Amino acid sequence: MTDARPTIFVVDDDASVRDAISNLLESVGLRAKVFESTEAFWKAQRPSAPSCLVLDVRLPGVGGLEFQEQLAKANVSIPIIFITAHGDVPMTSRAMKAGAIEFLMKPFQKEDLLAAVRHGLDRDRIRRDEQAEVSVLQARVDQLTSREREVMDLVVTGLINKQIGAELGLSEVTVKAHRSHVMQKMEATSLAELVRMSDKLKRRDRR
Amino acid sequence: MQTSARLEGPTRSLIWRGGIVLLFVVAAFVPTLLLQRLFPYPFPFLFFGAVMASAWFGGKAAGLFAVLLSTLFVDYFFVPPFYSFSISTTAEAYFAAFVACALAASWVSSAKKRSEQALKEALDQLEVRVSERTAELMKTQTELAHLSQVLSMGELTASIAHEINQPLTAVVTHGHACSEWLSANPPNLEKAHQTVQRIIQDGTRAGAVLARIRSLFKKEAPTKDWLDINEVIHELTTFLRDDAIRRRIAIRTDLVPGLPKVKADRVQLQQVVLNLMMNGMDAMADTADRAKELLIRARGDESEIVVRVEDSGMGLDAEANERIFNPFFTTKPHGIGMGLSISRSIIESHEGRLWASPRPSGGAIFQFTLPVHPRDSDD
Repeated sequence: MTDARPTIFVVDDDASVRDAISNLLESVGLRAKVFESTEAFWKAQRPSAPSCLVLDVRLPGVGGLEFQEQLAKANVSIPIIFITAHGDVPMTSRAMKAGAIEFLMKPFQKEDLLAAVRHGLDRDRIRRDEQAEVSVLQARVDQLTSREREVMDLVVTGLINKQIGAELGLSEVTVKAHRSHVMQKMEATSLAELVRMSDKLKRRDRR
Repeated sequence: MQTSARLEGPTRSLIWRGGIVLLFVVAAFVPTLLLQRLFPYPFPFLFFGAVMASAWFGGKAAGLFAVLLSTLFVDYFFVPPFYSFSISTTAEAYFAAFVACALAASWVSSAKKRSEQALKEALDQLEVRVSERTAELMKTQTELAHLSQVLSMGELTASIAHEINQPLTAVVTHGHACSEWLSANPPNLEKAHQTVQRIIQDGTRAGAVLARIRSLFKKEAPTKDWLDINEVIHELTTFLRDDAIRRRIAIRTDLVPGLPKVKADRVQLQQVVLNLMMNGMDAMADTADRAKELLIRARGDESEIVVRVEDSGMGLDAEANERIFNPFFTTKPHGIGMGLSISRSIIESHEGRLWASPRPSGGAIFQFTLPVHPRDSDD
């Protein structure tokens, strides 16, 4: 998944501005896809590669800040870098509070845009990696029997076999057998690793 | 009815009315005389038609005259004994009925005519009132358009800034990209070349925006009218009153009635005064130790009028006195710094002067002059 080429989406209603941004990104070896409106971006196919969105604030139709909210509501997490010709403090703080990477004033400097874009791509890559890892873990969990799952839940809380046995009404030997199945199926080499896996899954559930 | 318009004076009108009555009655009489031979009983019904027509076209008096004439004709020719004005006893009731019907016909016809005329007059009046109201509305609309023109100066500058900022952003970004293409190893000259072409395009576009704005200002050649400066000031103080109350600023005016009128472009002059007043109000935003007061004073003699806008705000330092009139000089966090510069060029285009000075008791004084008899005045 991570080997797909990262893509930067650029939404600006001004053709010359979006061409220029696309040209700049291309000149440093990044791939850009430009759109003239948030609607066009929303309708477009988005490859499953690390990506981020360079978004103009003032747009015809659905504006940048509004679109940020829409994306959040639709559970689409893509890092956003805002660009605007006339931003003010409330606008900036609203965007940043909603999780924007950066808020740049036009005309912006190359370093600022590229740093923000790289930061955005990194964040997206980490999120995607985590997501991929979690889905692998989930596939492993799905292989566990319900008894094994119960055992795993207690193991990761730090209980020893004897306590787990008492809790579930099983003999210590049976718990031990379940436990080794859990370690095998989860492909965990140590208790510490199993705990980390369980944490990751739980973190995903909390989200 | 159109014939009546051609006749003038009461005498001619009387003759005309008498004439048509006679005409109608004779027109009824001749066929009646002929019909008399066909019917065994008197047939005076056509006279009702003559009465009604007379009352319709000639009015109430003509109607009554027609009744009188018809009565005479009927009495003489058609009521026994014939060819005599005397009436036999048997025919009395018949004759009375005829007179009553003729009178009723005359009354109905003239009343109907009157009510139609009243209706027509009401319609005409309504039309006049509608056109009056339409004119009023159009005047209000023009005034509103005027005001929005004054107000939109700030919006205009913001939109100009945006229009230029877009190509500028593209130029800067392309510039960065171009330097990247050139510093690649090996340099990508083709891309660099394409990028430079785009820079030229975008730079040209920014230039075109400016040219368009310049022509916009040029096209709107000031339309100079004779203006009462007091009126202009009064309008603007009214306009800013709510804003001033909200900002706890007292706006005072010190005007002298009957100042000579000046020949100036109304919108431009409003822009200048509004700009000076808004500046004064902005300058008092942080004033805490004294009353926030904006004073607008107008004085004049036979050669020029002087308008002063005084505020009790933060004031000016001596060296800033002239710099404030430079384009893009601003002390406001969101200002563009064009207001005073534009104001001064407006006043100068009216052959006046605009300058600033510190107010002795704290604050600033802006004043401008306008000549009462400018050179280019054509009347």
